[in-house]
Amino acid sequence: MPELLKNLRQHLLTGVSYAIPFIACGGILIAFAIAFAPMTPTGPDFSQAPRLKLIFDIGSAAFSLMLPVLAGYIAYSIGGKPALVPGFLGGYFSDQVKAGFLGAILAGLLAGYVVELLKKIPVSKHFRPIMPILVIPILSGAFIGVVMLKVLGTPIALLMSNANSALRAMGTGNGIVLALILGSMIAFDMGGPINKTAFFFGAAMIREGNYQIMGACAAAIGTPPLGMGLATLLQKRLWSSEEREAGLAGIAMGLIGITEGAIPFAAADPIRVIPSIMLGSAVAAVIAMVGKVGDHAPHGGPVVLFVVDHRFAYLLAIVTGTVVTAVSINLLKARSRRLADAREEKAA
Amino acid sequence: MKVVAVTACPTGIAHTYMAAARLEKVGKSLGFDIKVETQGAMGIENKLTERDISQAEIAIFAVDIAVEERERFNGVKVIQVPLQDALKDPHSIFAKIQS
Repeated sequence: MPELLKNLRQHLLTGVSYAIPFIACGGILIAFAIAFAPMTPTGPDFSQAPRLKLIFDIGSAAFSLMLPVLAGYIAYSIGGKPALVPGFLGGYFSDQVKAGFLGAILAGLLAGYVVELLKKIPVSKHFRPIMPILVIPILSGAFIGVVMLKVLGTPIALLMSNANSALRAMGTGNGIVLALILGSMIAFDMGGPINKTAFFFGAAMIREGNYQIMGACAAAIGTPPLGMGLATLLQKRLWSSEEREAGLAGIAMGLIGITEGAIPFAAADPIRVIPSIMLGSAVAAVIAMVGKVGDHAPHGGPVVLFVVDHRFAYLLAIVTGTVVTAVSINLLKARSRRLADAREEKAA
Repeated sequence: MKVVAVTACPTGIAHTYMAAARLEKVGKSLGFDIKVETQGAMGIENKLTERDISQAEIAIFAVDIAVEERERFNGVKVIQVPLQDALKDPHSIFAKIQS
């Protein structure tokens, strides 16, 4: 069972790794076009701005391709090359029936496993060459088409639209809880699978037109390395010279939104570092959520400021999260240092 | 002993390269002849040649996602570990190889 889950995670993350650049391209181009077009009650007005419309259309195309790519490469991870056809088709249909990223993930998994099953059919040697180029693509493609268009597509689309309206109608209280969870997840393994789960939830919601989930994630992404860096600057005597160097590198990485910058610290002292960075990231995410920060790019840290809504709240969230992280780790470290000194005195 | 390795993480901008650097450093310090291919957001870099792979006694996949062009490794002994292992405890990976 753990083996199965591990494989499943690998397949999903493979799809995600190919989909992320599409979200980046689509999200930022669309945000750019909308930002410069005159706003009307029914949305941005492109009638006087053909160039912005062009940019908007290019971004939208990247978004339309994102679901087929996500489903296609989930399927590819499971079934190899022959699984690309049903995977891409499944993602395309998921877009058509508005089943969103949930539908695409499911379609990709189904497509991959169906292809794996089809590969197992015993066939004679003369027949074998036409399996991957004719039989498997046609059968698996037809299967996934029927499933997505006639069976699973509509219920998933309903689920997605319910989830979307629930997220949109979410009150401040629930929003804070969600931000707390997302922020903690972002910091917990610093770029590992749990971080990526929260991150991809935020990124996928960009495509659904909800930017606040990513806004909360984005604020949380930069604070662990920034906070550790600030901690080494605030109380130099608590840190070795290597750690102070890693702290400077951490600040640079935090600024460009790479949570991994905190790993050297967490690897050396996980029990004190991980809770401190989780606290800081959770605080940052909550402030961002309450401040209605929206992020149009699937990336975080101060570097995305240009594509963020409510920039002041975003900066406030990052700065506060960074300070909270730095102060907590220094308090914890100073305390353990005092305990150690006391023990030495007793021993002496 | 000649060893080849592949590192890959979902985003492919930080972990992939950190793990590659770590495997290379620790591997060399333990006396392995190691070459590491990265499969990050830029695609395959420092690509393992057919010769690298055929000469290697073992291939390490430190990956969280599927390995690209996996068929190159058919016929080679492969051990696959989560990428985190290469970052946190590369020594245990090499210990596993030697046993």
